[in-house]
Amino acid sequence: MIQPQTHLNVADNSRARELMCIREAVPNTPLERSEVITAVIISTRKELKRDNGMIIRYDDNAAVVIDQEGNPKGTQIFGAIARELRQLNFTKIVSLAPEVL
Amino acid sequence: MAVCSTTTLSIGGSVFSGQLRHWEPNESKLFQKPRSRFRWLCLNDLYLLRFRTKTLNFNPSGSLLPSLYAYGKEADDAFLSKVNEDTDEMFDDLMKKYGEVVFRKNDRKSPSAELDDDAESLSFAVEMAKVASDVKAADIRVLFVKPLVYWTRFFIIATAFSRPQIDAIGSRIRDLAEKKYGKIPSGDAKPNSWTLLDFGDVVVHIFLPQQRAFYNLEEFYGNATLIELPSETQPPFHT
Repeated sequence: MIQPQTHLNVADNSRARELMCIREAVPNTPLERSEVITAVIISTRKELKRDNGMIIRYDDNAAVVIDQEGNPKGTQIFGAIARELRQLNFTKIVSLAPEVL
Repeated sequence: MAVCSTTTLSIGGSVFSGQLRHWEPNESKLFQKPRSRFRWLCLNDLYLLRFRTKTLNFNPSGSLLPSLYAYGKEADDAFLSKVNEDTDEMFDDLMKKYGEVVFRKNDRKSPSAELDDDAESLSFAVEMAKVASDVKAADIRVLFVKPLVYWTRFFIIATAFSRPQIDAIGSRIRDLAEKKYGKIPSGDAKPNSWTLLDFGDVVVHIFLPQQRAFYNLEEFYGNATLIELPSETQPPFHT
């Protein structure tokens, strides 16, 4: 459960090291402040359940930095990614991922 | 460099934890060498469960099937060993005893049906590439990525030189796909320096030249086979 004040690891090679969540962005709303960056959460310590009974739980909370247009800021992503990201329109991150679970 | 990610996987509702380590010997960048068919999973804190699942035959062409070694709590034996030296032997014993235990999806199609789907996606991909070349996109590549990733079959990568051009390519591809094949893409609606159109089996990437150099997807998917496109400089063959 990621909420404001949660510290997140960064799972790509953009030069950020750690992030703190300040606000959850509802899809399709613009983010006003420019010194704050947007990131997509890709792994959580809370389980992710699927309809077929599969449960995925990571050991850390991590995110990938994206820019205002939605393009990932780094060129590589570390760690496996859940395929739910594709359905949420983050196929770019999925295509950079080394493995998709 | 071993990519180490700690993950907990649960199959069939029973939860176990372990550490997945992908061993790719002598690899500085992923996807540079042909991936080994066999991926070792190193489990610390081994919890064991007997799984009666069918073993999945590895595709001889070396496609990478996700092989998950499922281990849970073993009811009969008190097998909760925390000693790391013994775990390798235990691992080997289990392997000999049960073979490669792999999770098998129920919705696997027969190989001939798969090939038909592949051919269909291929024709779709080639059509899209043709549309892109009509709008004068540069450096169009169609990559067959099915052996590398399981979530799609083909990638189309194209370079456009301006945002209106990206817009034009995107809208033409969308219109053709909807009209002819009835497929509606998910992905970017507004033109973006990296515009992505996701048609399920086929994913179209349209880059601006700097983004293409920056993300370098061809290098990341260097092991994918490149599909030959009929070049438009060749005169059409009339018999």
